[in-house]
Amino acid sequence: MTMKKIKILTLVLFLFSIFTFAQVKPDGLEIIKKVYNRPTGDDQTANLTMTLTDSRGNKRIREIKQLLKENKNIEKKIMFFVSPADVRNTSFMSWSYTKEGKDDDQWIYLPALKRVKRISSDSKSDYFMGSDFTYDDLGDRQPSADNHKFLYMKKLDNEECFVIESKPKEEEYMYSRTITWIIKDKWIGKKKEFYDEDGDLLKILTVKKYKKISEFWIILYSEMKNVQKKHSTEMFLKDVKINTEIQERQFTERMMKRGI
Amino acid sequence: MNKFLKKLINYKWASVFLILAISFAFFMIMKKNTRMETDLDKYMPEQHPAFVYSNKAEEWFNIKDGIIIAIENRNGIYNTGTFKKIKDITKALQKMKEIEKDDVTSLYTADNIIGTEEGMDVKPFFKKLPKDEESLKKIQQNVRNNEMIFERLVSADEKVTVIIAEIGDDTFSQEFYHRILKMAREFEGPEKLYVAGRPIVEGTMAYLGPRDMKRMVPIVILVIVMVLLLLLKSFKAMIFTMLVVLFSTVWTFGLMATLKIPIYAVSTMIPVMLIAIGVADGIHLYSHLHLYMKEHPLASKKEAISDMIHGMWKPVVMTSITTAVGFISLITSQVYPIKYFGLFTAFGVLIAMVFSLVLIPAGLMLLGIPNWKKKSKNESTDTKKRFSFRFSQWIIKYKYLTIILTIVIIAVSLLGIGKVWINSSFLEKFEKDSDIVITDQFINKHFGGTSSLNVILDSKKHDAFKNPDILNLMDKMQNDVEKLKIVGNSFSLADYLKRMNKVMHADKEKYNTIPDSKNLNAQYLLLYEMSGDPENLWKVVNYNYQKANLLIQLKSDNSKAINSAIDIIKKYIPEFKKLDVSINYAGSGYKGLVFTDLILEGQILSLVLSLFIVVILLSIMFKKISIGFIASIPIIITAIISFGIMGLLNIPLSTTTALLSSIAIGIGIDYAVHFIERYKIYAGETGDKIKTSELTMLHSGRAIVFNALVIIAGFLVLLFSVFPPNRALGALVSLNMFTSFVGTISIMYLILYRSNIYFKKEKKGGLK
Repeated sequence: MTMKKIKILTLVLFLFSIFTFAQVKPDGLEIIKKVYNRPTGDDQTANLTMTLTDSRGNKRIREIKQLLKENKNIEKKIMFFVSPADVRNTSFMSWSYTKEGKDDDQWIYLPALKRVKRISSDSKSDYFMGSDFTYDDLGDRQPSADNHKFLYMKKLDNEECFVIESKPKEEEYMYSRTITWIIKDKWIGKKKEFYDEDGDLLKILTVKKYKKISEFWIILYSEMKNVQKKHSTEMFLKDVKINTEIQERQFTERMMKRGI
Repeated sequence: MNKFLKKLINYKWASVFLILAISFAFFMIMKKNTRMETDLDKYMPEQHPAFVYSNKAEEWFNIKDGIIIAIENRNGIYNTGTFKKIKDITKALQKMKEIEKDDVTSLYTADNIIGTEEGMDVKPFFKKLPKDEESLKKIQQNVRNNEMIFERLVSADEKVTVIIAEIGDDTFSQEFYHRILKMAREFEGPEKLYVAGRPIVEGTMAYLGPRDMKRMVPIVILVIVMVLLLLLKSFKAMIFTMLVVLFSTVWTFGLMATLKIPIYAVSTMIPVMLIAIGVADGIHLYSHLHLYMKEHPLASKKEAISDMIHGMWKPVVMTSITTAVGFISLITSQVYPIKYFGLFTAFGVLIAMVFSLVLIPAGLMLLGIPNWKKKSKNESTDTKKRFSFRFSQWIIKYKYLTIILTIVIIAVSLLGIGKVWINSSFLEKFEKDSDIVITDQFINKHFGGTSSLNVILDSKKHDAFKNPDILNLMDKMQNDVEKLKIVGNSFSLADYLKRMNKVMHADKEKYNTIPDSKNLNAQYLLLYEMSGDPENLWKVVNYNYQKANLLIQLKSDNSKAINSAIDIIKKYIPEFKKLDVSINYAGSGYKGLVFTDLILEGQILSLVLSLFIVVILLSIMFKKISIGFIASIPIIITAIISFGIMGLLNIPLSTTTALLSSIAIGIGIDYAVHFIERYKIYAGETGDKIKTSELTMLHSGRAIVFNALVIIAGFLVLLFSVFPPNRALGALVSLNMFTSFVGTISIMYLILYRSNIYFKKEKKGGLK
């Protein structure tokens, strides 16, 4: 048997087991892969509102217009800041590759500098735009980077969820483990707890709103709370449009400079 | 009072028993409830505006004191072994529950932002241990190119690197202090490790201070015992005098424990104070008794004791009250530990007075009057007599010399007073060759500085600190401050923006400036937030860019250093005001400065107050205002000389030496009281000025000399302290006692003599 066949077989067996309530324990990795590979359309446009709140309740709001396009090898994303006014038209582009081990390409355009600059960053554990999300948290982490273990089924907000514990394979990753609640059938991570290197709870991600748009499940409102720093980030997606045939040429330095 | 005390003699057993019982009770409470206060923040007056602001600013910017661990490798730090230590120590610190993970800064945690031709690179200097020459070389190059790291985390000669762990005030404990030092020791070799920073300095002081005092108390007791034996020439007299002071110390600390007031660093001085001061009453009582016995060898025990009480209760009560007033005046201080110090020492002095008047007579009744040997006494008494008689005449004869000498000494002292300065330094409380000072100097030599001053810039407008005008002015002010020798480094939002500007222009030095455009600044900051560690940004600016924190690193924590930096910043206040930005200060160095100023302010107030009260008290006691003023002459001169000497010998006023004035007034006045009291009695008895002078000089002079000797001996013990300010205090109190004593028997006596107080009637009679 080839590997592919084994995988298909496992999957069939696995799905079968769920539907028949059999005693076969679901495989954690397979579930996480389902989430990672959940189709979200080939392209998407949306307006993102990011609200950052510090421990004293001070808020900063950033409005971003984002475009993304995905094919099987590469995901391209471009973001334009709409507000605050002093960073309006600052744009950020990233190309991330499905191929394991290949680093993202990232560019930034600062309108006041009138120049596109390449940013290279080693770390996926960098925080995304000063928020509480790291690039990894936003869904970039490869399922194969962790060991996954199915724990149990649990109902959360009236949704039957798989609860999966994931531990990193590499040493010295920023989290010692994470626990994810994944909605059965929808393959959406409903909630995720992140534990720091010392094993203490660090952050809690809660997905508060998701919707089926053009046949795809899209997360519209999520909140990440850093319980240690008492800092939190809310992300709202509005005006989501899927599969509107965005062209590849939208994702170029020239487009970054053109602005909104 | 007199009658009551005399009656009390008959209840000798009861009074001894009662005092013993209460002492025992206090001792038990003391054992159970006594608590040492080591949190230095508890010493600060929290409601003072400067402290309120500083505490708020510390919260805005997460300002904490840093523990600095320096790793020195004589062969340079760029080798795998040293890098392993950097990583391991960083991780060990991050694991400590007292330290938050993000509060540890080292080459291992720092991000390196580098500009390249096409863009920007954000990377840690290393994550995995560099094992080969090539990767070490690369790190070395990266460090050299990064002005936010080079000479901040790595020394210019590349032989030392530091790890900084910031900790909150409330998390510091003795146990943690020892744990940090132990950890550092375990990482020694071949690298040398140094541990410094304000928490360590404070920790060392909190550790050594009480130990020092514990060591001091037995020595003081021993010295006083010996001096008493020598002066009183009786074992019994010594024992009872010592019991008086020991019981008064137990009562004082027992009361403190009963009221649940913790022991502060200054309170550890109380036993030494009480022991040295409390024996004075005993000396005067025994001294009187001794003289009486000599003159009336056949008197009964009870007669002798009655005469002692009759003759001495007044001056004993008066001197104790005036001493207590000197200490009570310290309650005007805004600093609680000093308030308590004053209050409880005053209590101890008064209780010692009660014990002296109750316990000593009771003891005499129970054990009998000491057997003062009479042989060969007459001769020496004669010489003493002759000497004191001659001295009293000599002062009168050479009155101009006495006056001129006094004026010259005062004039020289006044010159010195102008040079007195206040020092809030914690470090300078230690010996110059102590480990902690050497470590500090080592780190200061290689890096920006172990002490810091936070300058808080505050605007009413959001996003003010994206404005190039404000940022440029900040940068200019920083450059100006950095010109000071004592300032090693400064750090602010301006540095971040300059760095970002340079990086975005391919690391070209000419772009190491603040951009002219507010939008570009905003965009750089956004970029930094996206790629760097935004937590770092919130240490220099607040969330809505309305407040900024400029950190100035100083190579010394003394007040002169901090003030020299503040003086430069003050020059910028008007310019900042034009831009609607106000300036304030924060941080523990600044709080220490304000704290010391408060102590000094309190000292001057309590000095004036105690002088005022003492003059009034004496005027009432002697029923003459003129006596109040005459009696205060020696202590005023003493205070002037004391401050003068401090100025001339460059001894700064610190939290310790500032206590001096109240001690000096409280104790120094005693000599004048005893002297004047005797003078008054003899004037009444003899009616002859010369005779009165001679007798006063003999009788009171002797007791005063004894008293001064005991206190001087007691305080000189402080010279054995490991803390230079304690030694200065010991030496200065001894000096003060000496000057008060000399002042009393010279210039004050002269003025008293010339004033003809107590002889007015006789003079008139003489004229007839």
